Amino acid sequence: MMSQSSTLAQPPATRGVRVAHFLRNYYIYFVLVAVVALLSVANLDKFDLFERGNFLNEKSIINILRVSAPLLTLAGAFTLLMVSGYIDLSVGSTMSLSAVIYALLAINGVPFLAAFAITMVAGAGLGAFNGFLVVRLKITPVIATLITLSLFKGMALLLVQDGVSAIKSGGGQKMPGWFNSYGREGTLLNLPMAFWVAVAVTLVLVIAQNRTLLGKYAAATGGNPTAAKLSGINTGKIVILLYVIVGVSAALAGIARSSFMSLGDPLSGDGMELTAILVVLLGGTAFSGGEGRVLRSFVGALIIMALTVGMLTVVPAYYQTLVLGAVLLAAAASNHLISRKETAS
Amino acid sequence: MSDSTKIGRTLLHTRRRMSDESFITLLVASVAVGLFLFASILVPNFFQLQNMLNLVTNNWAVISLGVGVTFLLVSGNFDLSVGGIVALSGVLAVWFSQSAGGGSALSTGLGFPYWLAVIGALGGALAIGALNALFVVRFRIPSIIVTLGTMMLARGFAQVITQGSQRNTNLPDVFGMLGNLTVFGASVKLPVVLMVILLVIAVFIEKKTVFGRLTYWIGANAVAARLSGIDKDRHVTYLYLFSSAIAGIVGILLASEFKSGYSNRGTLMEFDALVIALLGGVAIAGGFGSVVGMFFGALILAVVTSAATGLVLSPDWQYILKAIAVFVAILTQTWALARRNR
Repeated sequence: MMSQSSTLAQPPATRGVRVAHFLRNYYIYFVLVAVVALLSVANLDKFDLFERGNFLNEKSIINILRVSAPLLTLAGAFTLLMVSGYIDLSVGSTMSLSAVIYALLAINGVPFLAAFAITMVAGAGLGAFNGFLVVRLKITPVIATLITLSLFKGMALLLVQDGVSAIKSGGGQKMPGWFNSYGREGTLLNLPMAFWVAVAVTLVLVIAQNRTLLGKYAAATGGNPTAAKLSGINTGKIVILLYVIVGVSAALAGIARSSFMSLGDPLSGDGMELTAILVVLLGGTAFSGGEGRVLRSFVGALIIMALTVGMLTVVPAYYQTLVLGAVLLAAAASNHLISRKETAS
Repeated sequence: MSDSTKIGRTLLHTRRRMSDESFITLLVASVAVGLFLFASILVPNFFQLQNMLNLVTNNWAVISLGVGVTFLLVSGNFDLSVGGIVALSGVLAVWFSQSAGGGSALSTGLGFPYWLAVIGALGGALAIGALNALFVVRFRIPSIIVTLGTMMLARGFAQVITQGSQRNTNLPDVFGMLGNLTVFGASVKLPVVLMVILLVIAVFIEKKTVFGRLTYWIGANAVAARLSGIDKDRHVTYLYLFSSAIAGIVGILLASEFKSGYSNRGTLMEFDALVIALLGGVAIAGGFGSVVGMFFGALILAVVTSAATGLVLSPDWQYILKAIAVFVAILTQTWALARRNR
């Protein structure tokens, strides 16, 4: 134990605290390894999804990573927003709306890159609208994004004409041939573009968090908003920027999902906000803000996807909600226990 | 204006000024009435007694859930688990009372007598409420996260018990009684009467009991409440149990009304309950709001959605209308309060 006077300079590094720090920083990787190992041992040859009943083979890994692209794209930006103490419940609806916009553009003959860019800009606009409600109109984030959850979902549903469930080929219109290659066709390492875009987004955000002022300001805003403001940080601008980043990421996720499913489904993002929160909490991000890492959320997303896809092969689909709910509560509880250990002593 | 003059002015006016709370409630009520009159002009056959009654009776479930949610919001806590609890308790009630020797897995239950099935289902609902309280009060985890988790947990159990669909066979005749019982000459259903009784009791607790006033105190300033010797933890625990019990009863009544336990029943009801409370002027930060306001908030939402249906708008419009209604309500309330207390 250190003396009382030195605690100001350096927090006492008791064994408990060191263990807690270690746990917070690295436990997520152990969880990933444990989940993968567990699912590899379990009997997996019930479905054709995994050849030869082996979770750890190339085809099943590629398959999981392909399905994970939307969530992986979203996790990083969502983490940064939560680190700054804000939340976006509208990400699922933003995703659905982007998917519908992208599919609408594609089916009306807009080329790939143009459709891609327009959808991203739309996503940025949706994010900026969230930021406007929260920062300029001072509506509580939960309410503001609950409003836009409903609004964007309604817009997505209205863009799809009555009597049809989604934008897809049919009725004289046909999806272009390139439409699903972004989310499905193997490129580098046999993984699709969508996955590499997710990796690129995450890399950019990791760098942004660790090496730029954006990351520092986000953490400052989440840790103590008043102090951040008083030290001259334009917290309003930072928060709007973060909402825009989340909007763009959600649009990219929508494009990936839409391309993977080959249709613009106005309900495709439903429940994404819950999964995003789950993933970010699993990555050890404090819900109250100030603490959290982009990369750990990325790993959290991998865990959730491995768990949900892998679980399908072991138990019936209707166990999924139960397991995810339990994981959410367990993640919240373990976060709490670890941070209590850190602040104790 | 400095704080002291502001306080002075407030004190000076206390006698003849109504409280901010009554002011907002009055505002919400007049918006509801105004919207109803406006819709009556636009929509044919809207201005009828039967339609007015329907606005309330069709929404008995959400209004009842709103009572528990309002009390929790006032104390500074969310409860997003109520929709999941509605599904769980309904499914449990069905599962417990289905007779034991059914043809298939979904038609075989535990064969309890109905009264025991109801108690069991309520027990399940209370267990989720207790879980909420445990995580929020003991572990100090933000209530929005906790209740999202328990919402998934409750619905997850309902899905496992019904294998992702529903149970509706092999039920005793008595099962369909409660939800379809009518009183006052076959015009009002029992659940609606229960809702009215619940509202009356809730308003009484809110305005006239120490318990009710302490809820406001805790929500307004949790630290001050603790320092004044209020057992906040116990109080919030009771509120969670109270809310989950209401949700449990709603689930049992709905299951009885439809004679089925459906795992997706009550989907998004937790958000509707939250939305009507917010529309009714309940502050999301706690310490402010009222059950009567929540009731009128529910009426606003009901008028908006039923007017949209009356105008033969595509059902997709309801999401946008709901969003606009909440947006306008929140802005109006903030603006009106700021103007009043300037």
